[in-house]
Amino acid sequence: MTPSAYAWTEGETLAQHFESHGVSRRDFVKFCSEIAVALGLGIAAGPRIARALESVKRPSVIWLQLQECTGCVESVLRTADPTIGDLLLDVVSLDYNHTLMASAGDAVERARQSAMAANKGKYILVVTGSIPTKEDGIYTVIGGRTAEDLLREAADGAAAILAVGACAHWGSVQAARPNPTGAVGVRDIIKNRPIVNIAGCPPIGDVITATVVHYLTFGRLPAVDREGRPLFAYGKRIHDQCTRRAHFDAGQFVESFDDESARKGWCLYSVGCKGPATFSPCPIFQWNTRTSWPIGAGHPCIGCTEPHFWDTMTPFYGRLPNVGGFAVEQRVDTIGAALAVGAAAGVAAHAAATVFTQIRRRKATHQVPETGTETENDDG
Amino acid sequence: MTARGESATGSRRPGLFGLGRGLSRERGNFTWVYLWGAPLRAMHWVAAACIVVLIVTGFYIGRPYFMTSGEASAHYLMGRVRFTHFTAAAVLVMTGIVRVYWLFAGNRFERFPALFPVTPKNLRRTVRTATAYLTFRPEKQSSMVGHEPLQQYAYTILYLMTIVTVVTGFTMYGQSNPGGIIFRAFAWVPPLLGGLQVVRLVHHVLAWGYIIFAVLHVYFTLRSDYVDRVGRVSSIITGGRYVSTDETYEDYDISKVPAHPWPTPEHPDPKKDA
Ligand code: SF4
Ligand code: SF4
Repeated sequence: MTPSAYAWTEGETLAQHFESHGVSRRDFVKFCSEIAVALGLGIAAGPRIARALESVKRPSVIWLQLQECTGCVESVLRTADPTIGDLLLDVVSLDYNHTLMASAGDAVERARQSAMAANKGKYILVVTGSIPTKEDGIYTVIGGRTAEDLLREAADGAAAILAVGACAHWGSVQAARPNPTGAVGVRDIIKNRPIVNIAGCPPIGDVITATVVHYLTFGRLPAVDREGRPLFAYGKRIHDQCTRRAHFDAGQFVESFDDESARKGWCLYSVGCKGPATFSPCPIFQWNTRTSWPIGAGHPCIGCTEPHFWDTMTPFYGRLPNVGGFAVEQRVDTIGAALAVGAAAGVAAHAAATVFTQIRRRKATHQVPETGTETENDDG
Repeated sequence: MTARGESATGSRRPGLFGLGRGLSRERGNFTWVYLWGAPLRAMHWVAAACIVVLIVTGFYIGRPYFMTSGEASAHYLMGRVRFTHFTAAAVLVMTGIVRVYWLFAGNRFERFPALFPVTPKNLRRTVRTATAYLTFRPEKQSSMVGHEPLQQYAYTILYLMTIVTVVTGFTMYGQSNPGGIIFRAFAWVPPLLGGLQVVRLVHHVLAWGYIIFAVLHVYFTLRSDYVDRVGRVSSIITGGRYVSTDETYEDYDISKVPAHPWPTPEHPDPKKDA
């Protein structure tokens, strides 16, 4: 029933498990050191993590996929070159994951129920996908039960919750205006369990691995920011770690995607880069086993780790957002300039009208200004 | 109509390009009233300079309109522009702090009541003055030695705008040092407005607010000089202005001010004789 090709059997420690799958002790310690660095603990913490992880017994993981596209599962599990991290994720996963399980129907639901009962209060709950709340949540129904119902039940016995991806974090594209299904994130439903938001659309696999390792090593979730995102990964802005930052500071910008500046690798600010408003480890962790990352490849950051990025980070190729669904972006300067010119024209017209009316009134009163007898109040 | 002091016979200011010639109610008796203390005038011009610098640099930061070429290491254009922007912002904030202090410590034309128009009396004056402007009958405007009602609104709105601009500005500024004092002090702003991008938008829109304010401000002050002959432009430079003693004023009892023949300036301190 377990979907993994590398099943981690009951009672086996992680060290034994890795050994039985041909992972050398050396590779394992190296992996632990890398994770220690990713967590911001410094390379010296590697051996400590290795010691703690070695003795870890198979943790139970329930993975709920709610209103989502399965992209996060793909991102986390599909890889051309399995790393220890994937192996770890693969093995900690999965007492229940409806996409990956071989069986279907009642059998899977029973598996979930028995796994939850057997590990009550101890299992890790991974959630991908948002929770639709409108029309009593009919937009996502699995095995006859709504997403919210399933989530509440699973969260009840969970030791900790990993909300993986923008959907589980805040609703993502489903929650973009006008949010027809009333989609919300896990944190909007579950208030009484520790939740960590692995933000991104999708998130970087390494962040998930590192968070799981942190939990297995220290028995608690890593420190988070006000969005509930782990600080070790989301503690800094893209813009402040960006490889193109020197060009930003120098005043060298890409104006369009095929210009000379683009070929030279200048800063993507003018084509809408949201790096200055986005907290994410993309420049450091990078993507696809550190092959590249969007800005590295010449595409502006779209701010996918920030809440409501479909509404506030769009248009993706402009600097200012379309607030309220009204396309002020690019128009704000036009409108501003039009108002300023309008104000100038208005005052000019007002001044002209003043001169005109004053002269007319002066003529009407037949007063000669040079007599020297009139005072202010007599005039006009 | 009490004619005190000597008539300034035959002397009048024709105004810029003689524009005032056809308009002004020239001559009469004038006395010099001291309105704006040196600190207030300094604040005005420092703030004005800062705002000009902030708008020029701010538009560059929003949409870089110059580019450098060659090696990035040879340039620091955006860096310098941002530095200038932040420095000017710091100076503006300092000015603002002093201005708040001066709302309590200043003279009666500079304090709270002269600024924030909230009383029914103020509202009536506002309607009257706005009507006067709209019907081109300057003589129907309310007659104040200090701020006119519309000015009171304009400056109150400007101060509120400045608060929002400064708050949104510091919010963005703080992002480069997450967890720092500024970041944490303004952490409530992005969720309130709906994200950092909205903070950016608000800041940007307000920049246009300043430009529109500047157009109106310059027009109305120049206009009051040429049409109403109240010398507002010079008052923010010299601190006072000539006030006709032939009129009554809603915010100032001119009869208590000793008459001084124009054009000999005397500086009766309104704090002493009000
Ligand atoms: S490419 Fe984006 S993140 Fe990088 S320096 Fe430019 S604006 Fe900042
Ligand atoms: S570069 Fe920006 S948009 Fe792209 S994955 Fe990273 S955070 Fe998301």
